[in-house]
Amino acid sequence: MTDVKRPEFAVVGKSERKVDGVSLVTGRPKFVADVDLPGTLHVKILHSPHPHARIVLIDTSKAETLPSVACVLSHENTPATRYTTAGQGYPEPSPYDARMFDTKVRFVGDRVAAVAAETEEIAMEALKLIDVQYEELPAVLSIDEALADGAPVIHDEADAEGIYEAERNIAADVDIDVGDVARGFAESDVIVETTCETQYCQHTPIEPHVCLSYLDEDNRLVLRTSTQVPFHVRRIVARVLDLPIHRIRVIKPRIGGGFGTKQEILLEDVCGLMTLRTGRPALLVLTRQEEFVSSRTRHPMRICVKLGAKKDGTLHAIEMEALSNTGAYGTHGLTVLSNVGSKTLPIYNKAANVHFFGKAVYTNLPVAGAYRGYGATQGYFPLEVAMDELAEKLGLDPIELRQHNHIKTGETSPIFEKLGEGREGVSQTIKSCELEHCIEIGAQRIGWAEKRGKRARDGPWVHGLGMSIHMQGSGIPLIDMAAATIKMNEDGSFNLLVGATDLGTGSDTILGQIAAEVLGVPLSKMIVTSSDTDITPFDTGAYASSTTYVSGMAVQRAAEQVCDQIRQAASKMLDAEPASLMLSEERVNASNGESVSLAEVCQRAMYGADQFQIAATASCVPEESPPPFMASFAEVAVDTETGIVKVLNYVAAVDCGVAINPKMAQGQMEGAIVNGIGYALTEEMLFSSRGRVRNPTLFDYKILGSLDVPPIEVILVESYEPTGPMGAKSIGEIGINAPIPTIANAVHDAVGIRLTKTPFTPERVFARCT
Amino acid sequence: MPLVNVRDILRPGTLEEAHRFLRQGGENARLLSGGIELIRYAPSQVTMLIDLSALPLSYVKESEGCVAIGATTTLREVLENPLTAGYLGSVITGMLRQVASPLLRNLATMGGTLVSANPWSDVITLFLVLDARVTLFDGTERSIPLSELYPTGRRLQGAILTEVGLPAPSPGSAAAFRKFSRTGFDVAVLNCACFVQMGEDRCEQVRIVAGGTPRLAARLPQAEEALIGAELTEPIIDQVAQVASDSAEVREDRRASVEYRKQLVYVGVKRCLKEIADRLGKG
Amino acid sequence: MTMKITVTVNASRHDVEIDPGETLLELLRRLGYKGVKKGCGTGDCGACAVLLDGRAINSCLCLAAKADGREVVTVEGLEKDGRLHVLQRAFLDEGAVQCGYCTPGMLIAAADLLIHNSNPTEEEIKEAISGNLCRCTGYVKEIAAIKTATARMREGDND
Repeated sequence: MTDVKRPEFAVVGKSERKVDGVSLVTGRPKFVADVDLPGTLHVKILHSPHPHARIVLIDTSKAETLPSVACVLSHENTPATRYTTAGQGYPEPSPYDARMFDTKVRFVGDRVAAVAAETEEIAMEALKLIDVQYEELPAVLSIDEALADGAPVIHDEADAEGIYEAERNIAADVDIDVGDVARGFAESDVIVETTCETQYCQHTPIEPHVCLSYLDEDNRLVLRTSTQVPFHVRRIVARVLDLPIHRIRVIKPRIGGGFGTKQEILLEDVCGLMTLRTGRPALLVLTRQEEFVSSRTRHPMRICVKLGAKKDGTLHAIEMEALSNTGAYGTHGLTVLSNVGSKTLPIYNKAANVHFFGKAVYTNLPVAGAYRGYGATQGYFPLEVAMDELAEKLGLDPIELRQHNHIKTGETSPIFEKLGEGREGVSQTIKSCELEHCIEIGAQRIGWAEKRGKRARDGPWVHGLGMSIHMQGSGIPLIDMAAATIKMNEDGSFNLLVGATDLGTGSDTILGQIAAEVLGVPLSKMIVTSSDTDITPFDTGAYASSTTYVSGMAVQRAAEQVCDQIRQAASKMLDAEPASLMLSEERVNASNGESVSLAEVCQRAMYGADQFQIAATASCVPEESPPPFMASFAEVAVDTETGIVKVLNYVAAVDCGVAINPKMAQGQMEGAIVNGIGYALTEEMLFSSRGRVRNPTLFDYKILGSLDVPPIEVILVESYEPTGPMGAKSIGEIGINAPIPTIANAVHDAVGIRLTKTPFTPERVFARCT
Repeated sequence: MPLVNVRDILRPGTLEEAHRFLRQGGENARLLSGGIELIRYAPSQVTMLIDLSALPLSYVKESEGCVAIGATTTLREVLENPLTAGYLGSVITGMLRQVASPLLRNLATMGGTLVSANPWSDVITLFLVLDARVTLFDGTERSIPLSELYPTGRRLQGAILTEVGLPAPSPGSAAAFRKFSRTGFDVAVLNCACFVQMGEDRCEQVRIVAGGTPRLAARLPQAEEALIGAELTEPIIDQVAQVASDSAEVREDRRASVEYRKQLVYVGVKRCLKEIADRLGKG
Repeated sequence: MTMKITVTVNASRHDVEIDPGETLLELLRRLGYKGVKKGCGTGDCGACAVLLDGRAINSCLCLAAKADGREVVTVEGLEKDGRLHVLQRAFLDEGAVQCGYCTPGMLIAAADLLIHNSNPTEEEIKEAISGNLCRCTGYVKEIAAIKTATARMREGDND
């Protein structure tokens, strides 16, 4: 445990009901498409049938003259501005290689044109009336094809910016080293090397992307949209539509999940332009098929990890090479690639020699983007499988090897400053780490000592146990900024205005809890408004596991400032020094036992004397990114006659600092783990030889349902992060990183095969068993 | 709106009326029972729907051991009916619990399921092995084995399927069903079913069916012959399962390869026969 | 081309004109029942589930015409006289609601279960919601919430 004593909390640390919970369980109309505006046009997009082609001719005249069609857009009548769709801070570390409608299409599903019409049916009819002549170009459908000599150049446009080497289809390149890895391997007693491949998979939020745009009474463009990044939406749409930022308002109401696919500016530009051109509201909802093909996916990767260790198990050299398929556009290409190393390698800080390098490569396939885990998920697969192989070679228990090598409180890793978000990172020392304890507890709960290596049989089923350890980060240091405003009402309640984006994660609630804790009030006295660019202060958005740590600290600071103002006002009422006053249980208390209620204080400040609005705005730019840590364990059974892998039991012990809301923290882990198990066992986008997605439906792209979930135990192992609000770190992403390597290692324990290609479908496993 | 071209939904009160509407509607008419397949596939030429819900076709009846299920009975109603639960050791309820989801089972009907001829259909695989017969109405009523319904497809040449019947189970008989899928809520990557009627220690009647191959369920006659007259022992079961696998016509699709489907036929038939052997006290 | 039907939704009678090809999902949302969600339109996700004569179905695969003369209950109809249904309260207490998009369909599927089975096993609970996909929760707390609701109902806490 750390030295800092964790304080006793009144609201933080309690599993309070979500502030929006009642409205969600009663089905109140709080999602984007739940609002009916008179005169709304329905927007439909025409997609490319070719993986790579130039648009030679596009004739939209027949579509335009179809009755009840209001507007048709194509490259001929839309801005030529190059931008990135990545919802990242400015200047975005992703290439500006996209155009609203381009003269070229780069994957089956790419945008060609858009129609706005009175009904969806008419819009779809109009799409069929758009004549497009394509000049088909050779296409590349894999990393190797894209990198081969003479491969067609996917981004040959003259005005793209920020592409590492367009002529070779390389969107981004990373290469960092520490020490001398060649010498490191030469000095190692044991070396293992493994190459793993991960597949194309999709987030499948149950609510597809949706945007409703309209002009308000002052003719300002309002975008009511399902997004994780409202401020980035505003900035990028302003630039693309050549509209001043102050003429745009972005509102994120309740949204139905994101997981990274909504960290993009995907619909808002088209929707917004339809509204500007017609003066009418415009609604664009992606179908489930479009969600699979034309939104975003995870970056499929091929990663090779080589480990060198001394006889005693100390890691001495690590080399990791990552080839990432970024699809037809480079959004998030560089940063996801960087995270493959930056969120994995520091965990084994004992290795003095490290080389991490790789490329993000364009292909004529669906566009990869941000997805929970963000590269770390892919990186942990070969890293934790290689660690298992190393343990085997050294004759050590896999747990022992991890315990011998993992980073601890007070330690650092050179990777922190070498590898950041597309640029250099930020050095940091670990101030909270309960990983040791996580490993101990998890091992005990799964029955590691009793069951591992036993290969217990049950008919055709063979049992095995596997484990892996992980870290992530909490926000992007020195780059992310979050802000919060708190203003007081005369009944002792407060409005909390945050730019922070609740995608269902419950950030409205936990930010409310943090504020309530500081102000000494119950959560019910906090009215939380979030993600409205007119009303709430800035926040980069929901990504990089930043909301609790970064937005939470902004909230804490704003609350502290409001407390100061309350103390100032109350000091006049209690005739005491402000510094001597304590806020608790909705009252301001003096040391002599006298007190006033918060309502009385604000009543006086609003109407009585020395009137002023008790309110404050505070910001936070984090200086470090303290990692959450996790130890993951699974017991599996492999049916040797069919290759079916069943997870019998799953235990994850996680250190997220102080859990602001324990049930919600567990919920984040449980959801991430189940998503990760699907990523490991059942999910895979399949392609035809022409790059068309063959299974763009939930019917044939299988995510886990209730019948598939194993017993899952999430253990919150608390630490206290001194730099975090109330001692908290983060928990949003880390859970998804474990199931692949944990299950791979468990399958090896059971049947002795090393699985290196996801998903571990029964057919693949069976082929390896025989 | 998937069925954007539908203009009329007729609701006949008698079978004769329904059949007349169907004949008049020709290519543009479809029968509406649950409606799931209609909405999922939404053929654009369909302008008329003939809703069967007013006809007395929702029932599960028993007569001298034979179980009859009306065409508009939902799969859930079949699943929960005690007559079904009691049939041949609950093999039907066991199969139905693996079909689709409870939400879909509340809407899907027996008639629609049989007529849709989905190649992965679990119901068709099991009912073929149970030697089901269907009643068709096209002005007059006739009864044919379920197997003769295929591969005529959904239109049935203007006839209306009104009922499916299962023969009375005789002593010394048992059936089993296996389904392999990617997740719990999924269609079969492969399914199979077996029926055995023992005479003393030897198998007298044998039916073995594999479905989702990815083609529609079909009998495996070579495997059946290998078991007829034989005892239900483990080595024989293994052998029969091997013959089933070798003789089954399987193809590759996005869900599985040929080799893997063959392996699933082998494992599925083996496990079905083992279950049957256990049930009949031969295992 | 329209037809007239009468459908009772959450005990309110609606006499409406519908397009014959309209789905129940489309009808309910345009009548203002926005709690009924569209996640896929093909019966694969269950977000659109409503009770039709007491049985949970995918409203996206049910023609509106089939609801003529029948009773529909949507998530908005679960609370009575301002008091939340025992399932709704259990979902809130157990932390089973994250983004809330699958929640209405999940509650409806659970309501169907509890109407017909007052003491379901964990297996029966998992089966009852097996047609409702969720990407946020991993189902763990949703299953726990249904168990809690069942226990509370047995203790006399009836919606």
